[in-house]
Amino acid sequence: MPTPSREGQAQSLSAEAWQQVSFLIPECGILPEVLKSTIADIGEYYVVRNLPIHELVAHEFIDAFVKKGSCYALTYNTKIDQDNTAALLPNGKLILSVDKDTYEELGLQGRPSQYSGKKIMRYIITIDLTDSGFHPDSKKHNRVLWALKEKKPLEFDFLLAWYNTGAEGSTLMSYFSKNQIQALKPKITFSMLRDLQCPVLQSNELQGKPDESCSTEELFEWLGAVLSQVSLDNKSSSFVSTYCCPQPNTIVEKAFLCTITGFIIPEKIIQLLEQLCSYFDEPKLAYWLTLTVHGFADSPVSWRESEHGFHKGGENLYNFVIFRNLDYWLQMAVGTNDDCPP
Amino acid sequence: MNTDECLPGRREGSGVALRACGEVGAALPVDVLTYEEKSLSAILRVVSSGLVKLWSALTLLGFYQNRRCAFRVLQTSPFLLALSGNSRELVLD
Repeated sequence: MPTPSREGQAQSLSAEAWQQVSFLIPECGILPEVLKSTIADIGEYYVVRNLPIHELVAHEFIDAFVKKGSCYALTYNTKIDQDNTAALLPNGKLILSVDKDTYEELGLQGRPSQYSGKKIMRYIITIDLTDSGFHPDSKKHNRVLWALKEKKPLEFDFLLAWYNTGAEGSTLMSYFSKNQIQALKPKITFSMLRDLQCPVLQSNELQGKPDESCSTEELFEWLGAVLSQVSLDNKSSSFVSTYCCPQPNTIVEKAFLCTITGFIIPEKIIQLLEQLCSYFDEPKLAYWLTLTVHGFADSPVSWRESEHGFHKGGENLYNFVIFRNLDYWLQMAVGTNDDCPP
Repeated sequence: MNTDECLPGRREGSGVALRACGEVGAALPVDVLTYEEKSLSAILRVVSSGLVKLWSALTLLGFYQNRRCAFRVLQTSPFLLALSGNSRELVLD
């Protein structure tokens, strides 16, 4: 099995902030201190209400945040299949996903949405804020600013986060102090699962082996059951539910489950991933652990910069299964209106 | 690939809607994977070819045992794991 570094994989996976991170460690009663401090260090994110989008195109903002470190932004409470949505990626690209009327009123160059069907009702506009041609006096910059400020002013509630390696200068709180900015901490929940049926896995057997190990798909579904608190112990003749834990499985006395919800940047997820890999530096009873990351259903992008849509669902998630021998499985799931993950 | 689809629904109103699934269940095997009394929400599982039937049956169900009720589908996915996180329900403090 090819083994690029897990950290490298995770880095290349992300062009966006993530909505929920969960990890499950079987045979774990007490979380190691180093993991506790990594979680405590996940960092705050911000919500700015009624922020006109032209503020993100202002050069003061670009110089202070976009060009220094990684700045993430996503409109809050906008539905990608109905409303206008915007996202700022750490590479400096501002992505606007707008309906037909807004696109025509804005007058900026974009392209039709891939998931629009025969009659184009949605357009994607990409503005590269760090492009050399986008300096303060350029025609490009002036046109964009005019379109967003005067022609068709757009205003949203934004979720914001900024990762910088200790650069001096303003913070998001001070920059947006005149707007309604609020700092928020991600919501963190811990739970201890007792007597949990866990599938037996072998890292090199992706399809599973009868009576020896379960397949990747069975693990994926089982993990969904555990995280959604589904009973794992039903009979096939049961009226209510026939779902049961895949075979072969073992009963694990206790398992540690942690869920972090908010606007979580990839840099912090990578730190968490590294610490989870280090969990096996000392001998442990667990054979494997999992890390699951959910994206925003209404983000205009997923997997680097592929367009993301919402058909019957907006799923966009990945899951690491890290084995004791430091082999790993990486499972990625997308919805109907998505490109295949890289 | 998972060929089943999971579908959570939230019931407005009182009564035990679980048994209502029995009406659909007569025609289509449906698993009620979870049911939470507090939030009146459940996760249902149905084969993907039955999704439209189940979804429309739930939408049209207005009465159960002479009591008014309504189902609202919050999230659907072929992946059970996707249902453990719903960004559309993200509430900021």
